[in-house]
Amino acid sequence: MTESCPRCGAAVDGPKCPQCGVLVELYRASMEKLRRGPVAVAAPAPPAMGLRPPEPPAAAATAGVRRLVFHGTAGSLFGIQAVNVLFTLLTLGVYYFWGKARVRAYLLGASELEGDRLAYHGTGAELLIGFLKGLVVFVVPVALLTVVPQLYGVPEAVTSALSMLVYLLGLLLVPLAMVGARRYRLSRSSWRGVRFSFRGSAREFVGIFVVGTILTSLTLGIYYPVFVTRRQAFMISHSYFGSRKFDFDGRGRELIGPFLVMLLLFLPTLGLSWFWFSARRTRFFTGHTRFGATRFRSTVTGGRLAWLTISNVLAIVGTLGLAWPWTVVRSVRFTFRYLVLEGPFDLADVRQDAQAASATGEGLAGLLDADFGVS
Amino acid sequence: MPVPGSGRVWEADYLDGRTPLRRPARVTIGQTGLEITLTDGGGSFRWPLDQIQQTQGFHRGEQVRLERGRDLAEILLIRDVAFLSALRAAAPDAARAFHEPRRRGVRAALAGLAAVAAVALGAGLYVWGIPAVAGFAAARVPVSWEVALGETAAAQLAPPTRRCTDPGLQRRVDEITAVLVGTLAEPRYPFRVTVADYPMVNAFATPGGFIVIFRGLLERTETPEELAGVLAHEIQHVLHRDATRAILRQASTGILLAALLGDVSGVVAFGVESARVLGDLRHNREAEHDADRDGMRMLHAAGVDPDGMLAFFRGMQKLEGARPSATRYLSTHPTAGDRLQALAALAAQRSRPPVKLLPNDDWNDVKHLCKAD
Repeated sequence: MTESCPRCGAAVDGPKCPQCGVLVELYRASMEKLRRGPVAVAAPAPPAMGLRPPEPPAAAATAGVRRLVFHGTAGSLFGIQAVNVLFTLLTLGVYYFWGKARVRAYLLGASELEGDRLAYHGTGAELLIGFLKGLVVFVVPVALLTVVPQLYGVPEAVTSALSMLVYLLGLLLVPLAMVGARRYRLSRSSWRGVRFSFRGSAREFVGIFVVGTILTSLTLGIYYPVFVTRRQAFMISHSYFGSRKFDFDGRGRELIGPFLVMLLLFLPTLGLSWFWFSARRTRFFTGHTRFGATRFRSTVTGGRLAWLTISNVLAIVGTLGLAWPWTVVRSVRFTFRYLVLEGPFDLADVRQDAQAASATGEGLAGLLDADFGVS
Repeated sequence: MPVPGSGRVWEADYLDGRTPLRRPARVTIGQTGLEITLTDGGGSFRWPLDQIQQTQGFHRGEQVRLERGRDLAEILLIRDVAFLSALRAAAPDAARAFHEPRRRGVRAALAGLAAVAAVALGAGLYVWGIPAVAGFAAARVPVSWEVALGETAAAQLAPPTRRCTDPGLQRRVDEITAVLVGTLAEPRYPFRVTVADYPMVNAFATPGGFIVIFRGLLERTETPEELAGVLAHEIQHVLHRDATRAILRQASTGILLAALLGDVSGVVAFGVESARVLGDLRHNREAEHDADRDGMRMLHAAGVDPDGMLAFFRGMQKLEGARPSATRYLSTHPTAGDRLQALAALAAQRSRPPVKLLPNDDWNDVKHLCKAD
């Protein structure tokens, strides 16, 4: 039984459109709602789309500088995490995923832009299923390829061939996990009721990743800044808020100079030059990101970043992890302090346009122990 | 009976789930639902209480956020958290679905209790739970797995190129090993002893019966009986499956930590690693004591003079005093005074006169046979 996708018209025989990735039922329901409006009891339906309701002053399309504000406190996060840890221990780990969802809901719910909080819609059940799927995709093959031959004693040539295979598998799985995790997280985040989404193709990103990894090793690392910029460009320019896309226009070669300077100074500065480069990269990435007419800008500096990172590590090590909530709250505040949105902020033509996403990539990312921080 | 709070009009914002445009609204609480009026002239409508979910407004300073509809919900935002108390009072049946801001103090206290309970439970698992699980599992690992694992470990710790291949040395080491292993009713492990050409004074047993003696240790022994003492001790580690247990303990501690701190990446793991090392030392000491005791029993059963083992450890203690860095053996095998005393007490319980090991060889020649080619 084949039907056509309500969004792009491609043939669909499952819940999800193979061409544009839209979840057919969800899209249809949201289109339906768009026509109907909220359920009216006493009065006729609210005005149709063409008739702009008067906006509250906060949403006006004015120019100027905007900032994200974080309202979270270490105390609240500590309380959440204490309950999470207790339940995780009592359930032998199962509650972990629900706890993770609670922490994310708290952190996003405490982040405010233009008077409205972000919201997180993911659930623990989704994360658990994603983890189990990731287990099947990643741990089972790797276990078969590495542990089993060791237990039954095979020749060394076979073992090294197998570990080569594991490496290649990782080269494929890491980008899949990065794309999957981003797709899942954005699809479960919203602002003013409108979901974010990620619509990049996983295959394309695997291509970028594999080629980038090979070129980076062939050029002894010089290609690395171009590689990370291409990754960032892919991640940003396929991200959406509702129906509107984010844009990225940075060219990685701008970062090659700073990268080489960082490498040269790495040993003399005992590694501190990395923070300088890292801040430079953040300013570069942020400064080349746009949302419609709104530009992002970061003013973070290497010294401040180094202090944040080093003091966080010391606090966590010194308290055996108890200071974790404090470091998290501090890091989010830090990010928001140096992040500004500039230019007109016009949301008039943005519409809800949610996309489907499973948590498999998210589970995979957790298993690969990689929290790929792409903002 | 008038419902408390039912008459009050609450200021709110409405988001329709289709556009990111916030619209001002007024809300009143009715018997079965919320009456919502959009003040920009968008009309009014009713949300039945059983279709409403609260998703924000659990923490101080956070607005109350109510959602209606499963995916892509419509949203109502109310600044004043007192709304929740009024809602709970007006609709006691549905009250459980909504947070009560007046109980925040109690919730904070419960969270504090949870923190204490979590620390206590975590410590309990760490001190008793994990060793118990590791012990249970180690006893059930097939010997063939242990052997394969030990082969891999031995190949890395003492690579074939660094092994002493002198056949005369190997024959005598094997002879001593055979005397000791001969006392076992059913030897479940294929014991193999290798001398590795490293100057450090060290010896270790991997799972599955691989024992590696470093040249440095061999050359420090004065008699074959001293080597037999070290071997008896290491053989007991294999029989007790100490290495297997340690691997399982490490793995399950890792899983426990990952479960607790999963989001927290490597930094925390590093901080807690220090606690883990301390814990392992404690387990090590117990395992060492048991290996001493049963090793001494093995020497008695084999008719080997137990004074050799005693003499070797005494020599080690002296060496430790003189050149601490030379004796890697001691960092894994603590030789405290009480340990020597315990050994001496065990050695004193001999039943029959000992048999001399390798009576036809000069040990001083044998112990210098190690040359890697």
